[in-house]
Amino acid sequence: MNKIREILNTVLENRGKPQINSISDSSDLRNDFGLDSLDLAELTVRIEAEYDVDIFQDGIVTTVGEILEKINNKK
Amino acid sequence: MNKLFYKDTIAGLEVSYEQLLTDVTNETTYSLFCKSDSYYTVFKQIILSILIGQEIILLDADFSNDEIGKLLGEDFLKAEVTRTIEPLGKIKFSDIHERIQANKDSWRITLFTSGTTGLPKKISHTIDSISRFVKREDNRKDNIWGFAYNPTHMAGLQVFFQAFINQNAIIRLFGVDRTTIFDLINKYRITNLSATPTFYRFLLPADHVCDSVLNLTSGGERFDENTLHLMQQIFVNSKIRNVYASTEAGTLFASKGDVFTLKPEMFGVVKIIDNELYLHRSLMGESESLNLIDDWYATGDLIAVQTEVPLTFTFISRKTGMINTGGYKVNPTEVEDVIRTCNGVKDVYVYGKKNSLIGNIVCCEIVRSDDCLTEKKVREFLQFKLQEYKIPRMVTFVESLATTRTGKILRSQ
Repeated sequence: MNKIREILNTVLENRGKPQINSISDSSDLRNDFGLDSLDLAELTVRIEAEYDVDIFQDGIVTTVGEILEKINNKK
Repeated sequence: MNKLFYKDTIAGLEVSYEQLLTDVTNETTYSLFCKSDSYYTVFKQIILSILIGQEIILLDADFSNDEIGKLLGEDFLKAEVTRTIEPLGKIKFSDIHERIQANKDSWRITLFTSGTTGLPKKISHTIDSISRFVKREDNRKDNIWGFAYNPTHMAGLQVFFQAFINQNAIIRLFGVDRTTIFDLINKYRITNLSATPTFYRFLLPADHVCDSVLNLTSGGERFDENTLHLMQQIFVNSKIRNVYASTEAGTLFASKGDVFTLKPEMFGVVKIIDNELYLHRSLMGESESLNLIDDWYATGDLIAVQTEVPLTFTFISRKTGMINTGGYKVNPTEVEDVIRTCNGVKDVYVYGKKNSLIGNIVCCEIVRSDDCLTEKKVREFLQFKLQEYKIPRMVTFVESLATTRTGKILRSQ
């Protein structure tokens, strides 16, 4: 979870958006963190570089919990 | 006549056609160049330029001074490009079509597109070439348009003209968050939506229904079957079509699903050589930097012919090294040239990495000459030098760049 927060903060920092201190399974990537298409795409690339999983391969991912599920399924 | 012209929740703006005409006809300055964050200002300046029959040059609001300097020469930044004009006085909307026709020989609209080598190209269009697909018909007068493009790009202009000429309302959806997009579509009962596949994918998952949309158009990149299928679940009453448009030629073809059919009026002005689409110069905007071979322009778009008579085809890919990211074309050479000017960069390679959300994402590899150089520093350096969509979203530091046997940087990833 901390690693995901770190990656999210890198994406947010790159776009000059405010950093986040805490995330939970139900945190919504678009509504809670304000990520747009480009940010989501960047998030995919960074998560893929770290975990070798394309989180959007089978459709859009909405929450942090769904990202963790994709990563855990891969393991 | 108090029909809504434009609604913009980001700018907090709602303008009727009556207000629009008042604003335009009271205007006392004309500017050759149009560069504004305000979509409404861009629309007003375009309409004014048509009414007075003068050229307008559209610049993206986020062009940096460095980019403009390169495009137009340093002189532009100092040049006198606005002048005082007499207010036009009262004009009725019904007079506008006549004005357009009267000024069609003197009016030009100029925009920029990423060139395949070096600098972006400057392309000028007449009213005929920019509005080739624009239709003015009685049964279109109640259409309401979702505006999901940048207004200074070809696709945005197409939507603007189509809506304006039929006196339709335009509701801004570009840059608006997902929940608000659905709220706006349903609240204003938007009937027509034109956007990139990236925009449509951003609306997923298909957990909303928008039954007011009757025509959904996609352009700028390939629309995959899966997204297409899911869009039908959201836009339950909508016909879905693809368009092929380019900054150089405007809108040219439309298709149902993936397959484009050549209309009879396009016979003789479109040809295919080695699977590449060629357009005759009569279809093109005016530009000094278009490379024409015997009056034919090579689009760089590779297609697969489905049937010879009538000619039907699908688009396969781009021949050139341009990166299509969310419908924007990025020239890697242009980005590399700017990154090379950053302190601590020895060499750089910019490429598109395939991405399921936006088609391709711009990434780069950098060979450092200074180990203190970080991704953050590169980004800060580029922030005011390049438009946001051109800035690599992921930087990797490497010992050396992958090159082909001829010494060229390997473009495909």
